[in-house]
Amino acid sequence: MTGKDLSIEMCGVRFPNPFLLSSSPVSNTAEMVARAFDRGFGGAVFKTVHAGRTKIIHPSPRMAGYDYESQKLVGLQNVEQISDRSFEDNLADIRYLKKHYPNHPVIVSIMGFSEEEWGLLARGVEETGADMLELNFSCPHMTVEGSGMKVGQAFELLESFTRIVRENTSLPIIAKMTPNITDITEPALYAKRGGADGISAINTVSALVGIDPDTYIPHPNVAGKSAMSGYSGPAVKPIGLRCIAQLAQCKELDLPLSGLGGVETWIDALEYILCGSSTVQMTTGVIHYGYGIVEDMIEGLSDFMDSKGISKVSDLVGKAVPNIHPTDAFDLDYQGVARYDLDRCVGCGQCYIVCRDAGGQCLGWNREERRPIPDDGKCVSCMICSFVCPVSDPPMISYEHVPGKKEIVPPVSS
Amino acid sequence: MNGLERDKKVYGVLQAISEASRCLNCHEPPCSRDCPADTDPGTFIRKLKLKNIKGAVRTIKNNNILGGICGALCPTERLCMKGCSASGIDRPIEIGKIQRFLVEYGWETGFDAIQKKGFGKGRIAVIGSGPAGLACAAELAKNGYGITIFEGREEAGGVLRYGVPKFRMNTEFVERELEDVFALGVELKTSARIERGGADRLLSEGFEAVFIGTGTWSPARLDIPGSGLVNVTDSQKFLEGMRSGKDIELASKIRGKNVAVVGGGSVAMDVATTCATLGANKVYVIYRRSLREMPADEEDLDLALAHNITLRTQSVVTDLLGEDGVLTGLKGIETDWKSLGDHSAAKLVTVPGTEYSLKVDFFVRAIGMRSEEANKGLSGLVEDLPNGLVKTGDDGVSTTNKRIFVGGDAARGPALIVQAVQDGKKAAECIMKILEENKSGGGACE
Repeated sequence: MTGKDLSIEMCGVRFPNPFLLSSSPVSNTAEMVARAFDRGFGGAVFKTVHAGRTKIIHPSPRMAGYDYESQKLVGLQNVEQISDRSFEDNLADIRYLKKHYPNHPVIVSIMGFSEEEWGLLARGVEETGADMLELNFSCPHMTVEGSGMKVGQAFELLESFTRIVRENTSLPIIAKMTPNITDITEPALYAKRGGADGISAINTVSALVGIDPDTYIPHPNVAGKSAMSGYSGPAVKPIGLRCIAQLAQCKELDLPLSGLGGVETWIDALEYILCGSSTVQMTTGVIHYGYGIVEDMIEGLSDFMDSKGISKVSDLVGKAVPNIHPTDAFDLDYQGVARYDLDRCVGCGQCYIVCRDAGGQCLGWNREERRPIPDDGKCVSCMICSFVCPVSDPPMISYEHVPGKKEIVPPVSS
Repeated sequence: MNGLERDKKVYGVLQAISEASRCLNCHEPPCSRDCPADTDPGTFIRKLKLKNIKGAVRTIKNNNILGGICGALCPTERLCMKGCSASGIDRPIEIGKIQRFLVEYGWETGFDAIQKKGFGKGRIAVIGSGPAGLACAAELAKNGYGITIFEGREEAGGVLRYGVPKFRMNTEFVERELEDVFALGVELKTSARIERGGADRLLSEGFEAVFIGTGTWSPARLDIPGSGLVNVTDSQKFLEGMRSGKDIELASKIRGKNVAVVGGGSVAMDVATTCATLGANKVYVIYRRSLREMPADEEDLDLALAHNITLRTQSVVTDLLGEDGVLTGLKGIETDWKSLGDHSAAKLVTVPGTEYSLKVDFFVRAIGMRSEEANKGLSGLVEDLPNGLVKTGDDGVSTTNKRIFVGGDAARGPALIVQAVQDGKKAAECIMKILEENKSGGGACE
C-alpha cells in the first residue's frame, strides 16, 4: 500500500480518502462500518435511519442479481428498505463509531415520514457526533407511501423537508438525488434553496432485472409478486456519471458533489471525480467483493496520481467537465478511418461480420488467409470493428484521423 | 486419480457459458470446417452463448447423433480445436467439453432434440452397431426409413462399448446416447452375426440397401516365441474383457504384478492406464519408434505418464518367457534407424549389445487392428481388398454394388469415431439418393 495523501475536503469535512460506503446493507451496523474503516474506507454514509415510529420490514427475498454471459452481478436489483433497526440502536452505533474512529467522517442518511420526524432525526443524529447528514429523497421502492423517491420527484416537498432539517441542525447537509427523473439538476436546485450544502447522486435506477419465463414473475419474487425497484452496479455507472456531470455543469447549483452508481475499481472512482465528485460512494462493488475493494482503489488512485504528477485529489475534481459538450459543438469536417494492424490479426473475422451487418460494409474477406481487407475509401470510422476485435495491448484496430477526408454516405441499392 | 474424471461431467450451465463466452464467433468458423461429421461447433457455441441452449443441443444431435460420445472421445485438438482463432489470443475453446455438456444437458432436461423428417420409406439393413452403423441408421431413420441393425455381439455399441476403457466413458453414457438412435424407431437384433454372403441374403429378403459397418476387430499379431503363453493377450480381448464381466478376473491378474504393453497408439495408452489403475506394480509401454513418432494422442500419453507408467521407446520385444506355460518375463532389444532422416518403421534396425530382459506377469499387444476373418466376404457382390477391407469408390462409402455401402473401420482400417460417423452419414445420404433416383431411374451416388 502506498502512503500517498488522498485526503479531500467536502462541505467543510476532511476525509482521509474519497472512498465511502454508501447508505445500504454494507453500512448497516457499526460493527460492519468499523471493519470497512479498518480495511481503508475513508468514511461512510450510515444506512438510512428513521424515527422508529413506522415498522420497517424487508421483503423476502430482497435482491436479484443481473448477470451477463458468465459474469455475475453486472447489476443488482433490490427492494431492501431503509434501516429495520430502532432509532436508539442506530444512534448508539453511530456514537460507537465516532468514539472509536474519530478521524473517519460518518455521514448519516436519514428519512422522515413527516415534517416533524425530519427535525427529530436531524437533532438526534447531531448529538451523536456524526459529521454530516444525507437526506434520502431517492429510494425508489419504499413500502411506506409518499416517501423516498416520491419526495425526490415532488420538488417543493423536497425543498421544505430540506429546510426543516436545515433549521434543526448545524451539520452539513447533502441531499441524495434519484436518477428516475428527466433533469436531475431541477430537484438539486430545490434542495439548495432548502439549505443543502452538497448533493449526492445517483440513488438506484428504477428497473426490472428480469422475468422468470416459467412463472412470468419478475425477480426478485416476493411470494408471487415483484416490483419495479432499485437497480445498481456496474451496469448503471454510465448513467451515474452522466448525472454527476450534469450537476457539475449546472452553474446555478455550484455545490460539492458525492458521486455513486456502479463504482468497483479505482478507474470508476476516478471517473466520478473527473466528472465533479469530491467523494465517491459504493455498495454493489462491496456486495460483490467485500470491503477489500477499497485497498485497490487506494493503491490504484495513488499510482495514477504519481504517474501524472498530481499531488492532491482535489486537483482532479471536475477535470473532465469542460470536455463534455452538446453534440452541436462537434467539428463535422473531422473524419477518419479504422486502421488495422493486420500482422497481429488472429483471423476470427468478427470485424467482417459487424462491418457487413452493422457498419459501413467496407471490409472485404480473404477466405484463404482468414483476414479482413480494409478499404479506407469506404470506411465510415464507426469503429464497431474495434469493439469486437479480441486483439488488445494495444488494440489491433485503432482510430486514425484523415485530414481532408469527406464523410462516407451509403449508396442506393440498384 | 489424475485425469480419470474424464468420464464425469465437466461443466455446469454457468461454466459452459463461461467457456463459450471466450469464443470469438468467427466468420466461416474453422471449427465447423474441421469436423469430419459436420457437428458445427461455430453454430452450437453461438447458440449456447445466446442462451438458445435447446437450439444448441438440436444443432449437435441433428448433425451428429453420437455428439455426446464424440464430445467425450474425439481428439479435438487435432480436429475442431486445431484451427480455433482463440488460440491466437490465448488458447482454443474447449469444444469437446462444451459439446458433451450440451448433449448431457439435453438428456437431463428431457429435451428430444432430434427432428424426424419423413415416414414410411423402405427397409434398410445395417450390419454392425458401432459408430458407423449407428450414424447411418439414425440418419436414415430420421428420414423415414425402416432400419434393422444386425449386431454379432450381445449388446450394441461396437467399439464404443467393447473397445473404450471405462475411465474414458462409462457404460451408462454410451447406453444413453444409443437410446437416442433407438428412439427413432431403429430395430436392433443382437447376437445376430451376419455370415459370409449374408449381405446379399439381406438384399434378397427385401432390404433395399445394406450398410456394412463391421469395424476391425482382429488384433495385429506379433510373431515372437511365447505368444501362446497364459497371460499373453491383446488390447481388444483386454478392453472387451474389462467391459463384459471379466473385469474382476483381469484385475486379479494385474494387481501387484508387472505388465508390459506393446504399442504406441492411444489404445496402448488406454490399456496401460487401465492396468495402472487396477493396481499393477509396474506398467511398461514398449514402442519400437521414438517418442516423436508415437501416434498416441498427447492427452492419452500424458494420462498414462501421470499414472507412472514406464515408457521404453525405440525398443522391441523378441521373446516372451514362461514357466509351466505361464508368462514370467520378456526379452527385448533396443532399436535405431538405418539412417537419420527416414524414421519409418521399415527403416528400424536392432542394436546389438542392447538386449534386456524384464520380469512381467501380463503382456498385452496393442499394435493395431485388422479386419476380422469372420467379417470378410459378407457380400459376394462387392470387392474386398487384400487387407480384408471393402473396396470403396471415391466417396469412401459406395462399393462395386450399388445397394451395398460400407463405412468406418471396415472401409478405412482403424480410424476415428467421428470419421465412422462421417461415413455413416455419407452412406445414408447416398442410400437415400440412390433409392429416390432408382424410382425415377437415376444413377449412382457421387
